[in-house]
Amino acid sequence: MILIKCPYCGERDQSEFSNGGEAHVIRPKNPESLSDKDWGEYVFYRNNPKGIFYERWVHSHGCKKWFNAVRNTSTDQILRVYKVNEKRPDLSDFKNTLKSPSGEPLVGSGNFAVKK
Amino acid sequence: MSAINNNCEYISKRLIKITFDGKTYEAYEGDTIASALLRNNIRLVGRSFKYHRPRGIYTCGIEEPNALVQIISEHNEPNTRATIKRVYDGMEITSQNRWPSLRYDFGAINNILSPIFSAGFYYKTFMGPKGFWKNLYEPLIRRSAGLGKPPKNFRSKSTHQYHNTDVVIIGAGLSGLAAAKKFINTKYKVLFIEQDSYLGGVLKNSNKVKTINGLTPQEWISETEELILNSKNITILKNTLVTTYNFTNHLIALEDKFAGKKIDLNKSELTLHKIRTSNTIIANGHIERFISFRNNDLPGVMLASSFEKYIHRYGVVPEKEPVIFTNNSSSLSLLKKLISLGCKPKAYVDSRKKDNIETEIKKILKDKEIPFFSDAEIEGCDGNKKVETITIRQGKSFNKLKSSMLCVSGGYNPDIHLFTQSKGLVKWDKNILSFKPDTPFQKTITLGSTSGNYNFKKLCDEINEKLSIFKTKKVSLDINLNVPNKFSIKELWETKKKNNSNWSKSFIDLHNDVTTKDLKQAITEGFDRIEHLKRYTTNSMGTDQGKISSINSLAIVSKMLKKEISEVGTTTYRPPYAPLSFAAIAGRSTYEFYDPERKTSIHSWHLKNNAVFEDVGQWKRPWYFKASENETMHQAVQRESKMLRENAGILDGSTLGKIEIKGRDALEFMNLMYTNAFSKMKPMTSRYAMMLGEDGMIKDDGIICKISDQHFIATTTSSGAPKVLADMEEYLQTEWPHLQVYLNSITEQFSTFNISGPKTREIMMKVFPDIDFSNDAFPFMTFKNFDYKETKIRIMRASFTGELGYEIYIPPKFGLELWEEIFSCGKEFNLIPYGTETMHLLRAEKGYIVIGQETDGTVTPIDLNYNWMIGKNKKDFIGKRSLSRPDTSREDRKQLVGLSPINKKDIIEEGQHIVELNELPKKISNPIKYLGHVSSGYHSPNLNHSIGLAMIRGGKNLLGQKFFVTATGKTKNIPVEIVNPVFIDPENKRLTS
Repeated sequence: MILIKCPYCGERDQSEFSNGGEAHVIRPKNPESLSDKDWGEYVFYRNNPKGIFYERWVHSHGCKKWFNAVRNTSTDQILRVYKVNEKRPDLSDFKNTLKSPSGEPLVGSGNFAVKK
Repeated sequence: MSAINNNCEYISKRLIKITFDGKTYEAYEGDTIASALLRNNIRLVGRSFKYHRPRGIYTCGIEEPNALVQIISEHNEPNTRATIKRVYDGMEITSQNRWPSLRYDFGAINNILSPIFSAGFYYKTFMGPKGFWKNLYEPLIRRSAGLGKPPKNFRSKSTHQYHNTDVVIIGAGLSGLAAAKKFINTKYKVLFIEQDSYLGGVLKNSNKVKTINGLTPQEWISETEELILNSKNITILKNTLVTTYNFTNHLIALEDKFAGKKIDLNKSELTLHKIRTSNTIIANGHIERFISFRNNDLPGVMLASSFEKYIHRYGVVPEKEPVIFTNNSSSLSLLKKLISLGCKPKAYVDSRKKDNIETEIKKILKDKEIPFFSDAEIEGCDGNKKVETITIRQGKSFNKLKSSMLCVSGGYNPDIHLFTQSKGLVKWDKNILSFKPDTPFQKTITLGSTSGNYNFKKLCDEINEKLSIFKTKKVSLDINLNVPNKFSIKELWETKKKNNSNWSKSFIDLHNDVTTKDLKQAITEGFDRIEHLKRYTTNSMGTDQGKISSINSLAIVSKMLKKEISEVGTTTYRPPYAPLSFAAIAGRSTYEFYDPERKTSIHSWHLKNNAVFEDVGQWKRPWYFKASENETMHQAVQRESKMLRENAGILDGSTLGKIEIKGRDALEFMNLMYTNAFSKMKPMTSRYAMMLGEDGMIKDDGIICKISDQHFIATTTSSGAPKVLADMEEYLQTEWPHLQVYLNSITEQFSTFNISGPKTREIMMKVFPDIDFSNDAFPFMTFKNFDYKETKIRIMRASFTGELGYEIYIPPKFGLELWEEIFSCGKEFNLIPYGTETMHLLRAEKGYIVIGQETDGTVTPIDLNYNWMIGKNKKDFIGKRSLSRPDTSREDRKQLVGLSPINKKDIIEEGQHIVELNELPKKISNPIKYLGHVSSGYHSPNLNHSIGLAMIRGGKNLLGQKFFVTATGKTKNIPVEIVNPVFIDPENKRLTS
């Protein structure tokens, strides 16, 4: 159970929020002009990286506002929250904050609880 | 063999009575079940999980693998650790996993059959013949597996409590108390958590510490506790066990409110503390580990520090003349204590070389003439359901001794469970031969033996240094010891057996009956990764999580693999630290509090009129109304359906979701959200509409009322309302923030009645004499607002039954009054109330779909032949683009059709398959071609035969063709004809009459 800072309400328990998947996937302005493949990409395909991930959250049991967050998916650390209309923070802002729990590698999983 | 009592300040001398397996025993108030049984010389307390071997009390705490009992007097609570559960007068306890009795257990035959039950036997055995698993193996395994019996039905009143705090200190031993002392009267809000009912930890469990700052340990604890209690910023939680350490310093702890007391069923017996903290200080100490040797599971074998704890904490010396077996320096305190009580150990066996053994130990042993074996080990022990003889190996010679107890110490493991749960990194320490915390991942500090510091003299500096990040005063600890300050240990995990026999086992996991032989076998079979090995052998997978043995198994495995222990690694430590009751997790969310019930304003009337209710989402909706006591559901639904089409019926539709859409851009927004075109729609008219997902699949449907271009009211399905509102909000906030639209849920602002049937108009005219209900003044799919008594109502002409119908919206306050008024007016027209089942039957007769019944998330409006609902000229709406994807425009997609049985007496069942075969083969060897499924099936009282709606591949082009529908329990299929799904009034004459 992590803590999430709603940009409107402040820090609240994760149970008050719902995750909305990858952020910055913009609905095409002219869907009819897209090829089947491109439209399929928009509807069905999302990234699922280990590490830095830009994602959407909604304070569903609170102010019901949508906002964006940058989360390290391997540690569940939320590195930044920002409003929907705010600029997407640059990836380089977070490069140095990357660490993984129990010394896991940055890509892939496994149990590495022991320091060598 | 006999136990003696020792003076102990934690035990009151008040005698109480408990029963164990039906026999009554005397115990003292403050005893645990284990200390009470030891006091009464009961050594055999349970049978093991797999081999049903006799087992006794092995430890004196949370780490207990053997002594699990069932508490009959507490809702039959199973698998309770006898070593921590405190007794009270009248407590009823039984042993577990034995039949017919603890002494003579039939299941012990498994011990003889043990060669079959070696590692991975579940994966190798029970492979055939076919059908044996379901009918023989599984029932048999389920009967014999597990330990206790499940609790009886009871209602827990456990509660949850939330904390937000600056510092949590886990464990009130020497380090925890010293750390807490630093926070006295500071600005930090501190939660100080101890699993026992007394503070003190190691100080009360042993006599290792002689004095602290010139005070006896007990005096120092009392003084410190009083200072803490007087400090306003520190809260002490006793009888509370921290079980979980999550991300963002979120801890979960379980408090036993009735430790040592009989549970009062009117009060909350457990509190689950959910703690959010800025810093966590882990000072929960260490756990002693055992050593594997032949028959190391016999009742009478006990960890040395546990033996010591029984003397100090519970005032019982389990045995006057035990044998002590150790590989380290810590057992000196036990030796000293026994001698001070006038007891004389039978022998002292130390695996260390004589030169490495402390002179103090050697001196005591010599002075007291206690047989001393250095550089020696226990080969094994023997006896009938208890330790009787103990074999000591020293070099090449063997010595047999008679004693009923063997105290074992294999060293100490820092209790790193919580630290690793917090995702901290551990490191192997060669000096203590164990893992200790290294790099924390969160704001976590470990103190004392948890951090691998076994040196009491260094503790004070450690605390002052590690807590220097806080603005606190320095503490000083001047500690005098009864034991050597320097911890010394020799590596020893398993002793060598004299000869191999299947009868004698050397256990590595007592709880799950895993032997060291199983580990070897698993490695031979290729399970050489520790996580695989753990699952294959079930090593350390019991409820004790291998607390006294997991490091031993890592060490043994690393030796077999010829690797360093740090290379082998540990298995993942996962919460909970110790089992916690489901009742505590559920808290108050049980029974009627599990999920709220929503009731309409007419609910009381429904109750009075014998409604049978159905759950729709959280709503309670009348399913059908019983006309007489003996009327079945089928009879009621047939009656209601027939009566409605002959006269009139009324349905409480208040549960229908209603969303108000208002604002400058409401029209544009609605055009985007729904498939339909709303631009040309006239104000004060309504339309059946559909909402799709971006994948083109139907999500929800409902009637949209247009009041103006800036104001709409959308109805949704009863259970879909919250999701539809949330989806609308999402698009407004994220995709179209430029649209000025406001959404409001108005579901509960109105009571809604759907009245329909041929006599509806006459009833409406009688209820509302001032309103013109003629077809010209009030055509189908229009609505109007009226004043009604002191309130306002809205009436819409719409129908879900296919008959002439109206929907009335009225504020709930006036709902019941109007409902009753309609009934008094409708009496002469034989108006009946009807429920959701009749509604479903009637709409199926009319070919109307129900979301979630005809649709399942893979159905487009085109599949339903609802092309007319799609605003093709609209530039865009959600899901539009997907309707022209190759997959959604396939001709052979499953499409909606009606089914009519050729033999009119046949019954079409919902959920059955549609096939080409008139009869299924007796033995199905090849898959049978599947065409589709029956989505709705009813007996229509108005057509007098069974009807069905079905989703069939390419259904649109199959009209008039003959297929077959499977039937429950039969190989003979039902012949059906594919027909138009609208069975009644396909011309809509009734709707528009």
